[in-house]
Amino acid sequence: MTAVAVRLVRLHAASRRLPAALVLLVACAAGLRGALYGHWDSYGALQLPLIFEAACAAIIAVTAGSPFGDPERATGWRLLYLRLGSAVTLTGLAVAALAAAGTGLPLAGGLPDILRNVAGLTGIGLLCATVLGGPLAWTGPLTYLVAGAYGLYTDWHPPALSTPWLWPARPPHDVGGALCAAVVFAGGLAAFTVRGARASAGG
Amino acid sequence: MTATSAAAAVRPGAARRGTGTVILGSGRLLRLELRHNAMLWLLPVAFALFWYNGYREIMALPPMWNLRAMTLQNRLLLDLVVPVTGAAAWMGSREGRRGLADLVAVTARPRWSRQLATWAATTAWAEIGCLACIAVVYLMTARQASWGGPLWWPAVVSVTGVPMLTAIGFAAGAWFPGRFVTPLVMVVVFFGLAFGTQAASGDHSYWQISPLTAGAVDIGAAPGVATFYPYLPDLSIAQVMFTAGLTVAVLGALGLPAARMRWLAAVIAAAGLAAAGTAVALAGTGRLDPHGMIVIPALHDAASNQPARYTPACSRTPIPVCVHPAYAGVLPAVTAAVAPELTEFAGLPGAPARISQVAPVYRQEPGNAAAVGGGGSSAAAVVLPDQEPGWLGTTVTEFDAQLDQGLGLQLASDVILGGDGQQSGSAPSQAQLAVIAGSVRFPPSVQSRDLAPMYGRLLPQPGSPADRAARRFAALPPAARHAWLAGHLAALRAGRVSLAQLP
Repeated sequence: MTAVAVRLVRLHAASRRLPAALVLLVACAAGLRGALYGHWDSYGALQLPLIFEAACAAIIAVTAGSPFGDPERATGWRLLYLRLGSAVTLTGLAVAALAAAGTGLPLAGGLPDILRNVAGLTGIGLLCATVLGGPLAWTGPLTYLVAGAYGLYTDWHPPALSTPWLWPARPPHDVGGALCAAVVFAGGLAAFTVRGARASAGG
Repeated sequence: MTATSAAAAVRPGAARRGTGTVILGSGRLLRLELRHNAMLWLLPVAFALFWYNGYREIMALPPMWNLRAMTLQNRLLLDLVVPVTGAAAWMGSREGRRGLADLVAVTARPRWSRQLATWAATTAWAEIGCLACIAVVYLMTARQASWGGPLWWPAVVSVTGVPMLTAIGFAAGAWFPGRFVTPLVMVVVFFGLAFGTQAASGDHSYWQISPLTAGAVDIGAAPGVATFYPYLPDLSIAQVMFTAGLTVAVLGALGLPAARMRWLAAVIAAAGLAAAGTAVALAGTGRLDPHGMIVIPALHDAASNQPARYTPACSRTPIPVCVHPAYAGVLPAVTAAVAPELTEFAGLPGAPARISQVAPVYRQEPGNAAAVGGGGSSAAAVVLPDQEPGWLGTTVTEFDAQLDQGLGLQLASDVILGGDGQQSGSAPSQAQLAVIAGSVRFPPSVQSRDLAPMYGRLLPQPGSPADRAARRFAALPPAARHAWLAGHLAALRAGRVSLAQLP
């Protein structure tokens, strides 16, 4: 990698507040670790990781916003790789941080659950960034958080919600839920890579 | 005349015009904020979340005011927390996010005043959403409920919880106007609300102050709570005090940076904190009363201890079954579940002339549990199970099973064993056990492990000769069983009937 490329990546990361996002992802992981020491009832223990997964996804989605708006779109094809790389890297780091936070503690669902939920929620956030703009990209993952938490609640209080599109309510190794989350993540990633976050006046 | 003396000699009419101008200006500012508010655009999200998470669950409950109002309190704020807190944080961070702080600092209005106008507009839209959700649930319940009227206290707690959410979100946005603040404050508030209730344990818990906690933590919204006795507002009053106090404290703290009004803001914030702290302390003095609600002695009105007046709803069965009118919807299920027993035992010695529903009695157990009891020693006074059809997914079959294990067995043992037999404590004969087992119809869902505690006491051991005799007896129609019992009950009670003599 050339010095120019490194500088380009560094400037892109700075413009998207990626260092702050990394700090917050680590803070979320630490929060999950601390919360796992608490005593929660059955569905509380199931819902707990989802809250931190949604927080990570919202943070990743918010970094999608560009401070430069439309002029940046004319800078060339490398922007696509920068968007793709930043989103995939942050998602991977979020999964790794949350998985590490759960090591040695009773984390409901384990790594498969974290991977599926973070990917799916990030996909929703990236889609929201494309449609609403980076600053409002949190609306999708956090709205979905409420629905997902309710889906987990219905596992104890029937009738249970069984649609795979509400993947947090499905078991960790459920293929349907994983496929839906993967489709949403791929869709969000593709839309964000190609179009970028919508330029927002409210930014 | 100097400028100072001219200012001092302002006429009352001019002062009135000045006050009017301020009010007019505030109204105009509020109108502008109402028109350009993020909460307006997030109202559809709030409605969608409430419909998906709360409304469908509430409407699936039996149409009883207590169940639906208390469940509404438990669900509504949690469904509103994301859109309401998010919109408030977004509005609170507006000036900082757009880099307008210096620009608007030179306007005639102090920053605190402008912020309060924005917060008020956000809260107004959020309250409209909250009230619309409450109105829909209450209107639907009013059309379906067989008895009673709206419980307003759960709705009041939800309504006063909304300004608390907007105040917290707005203050976070105003103090830290970064791009990450809005999602983070939403997650923190959601976590605090959703998981704050889990920390509550027992009837003395300070965590009962959470505005999502409707009634006793261990019981929650149960059919027997606030049905036979009025809804106790003690905990609701403390919760309203807490949410209002916290709102005032946060809004007061917003004004602390304003140099000219720092003292006023500090006094307001301190008063709010004092109210919220007092409310938490009051919640810690709560205790579970026998009717399933939390009594806070300092807030309790003794007049609320009087039972509610009602005319029971009765069935037209050989033995009438009378229930509280709020339970009128489940009366057909009750009579259908024990219909064969009612026909078989009507008019026999020991059978009640009427079966009346009585209030359940709740008792706090150690830790996070509550025991439900009540009723008498005979089937004449019965406590219906809380697990009514529709309550937390309970099916009619499950309800029938509970009734047969409770009311059906009680009725049979009253007649077959008689009052003396029960009091003497002597073990029932095999023929008596066979007749009891042959008289009570358990649904297929009732398994032997559910009945195991009653083997030898009220039911014969499976596979025993008495069990086979019970199956023979059960094969008879209820009228034939009634006819046989009418002729042989005295001998059966006296232990002079053997298994071979059973039909």
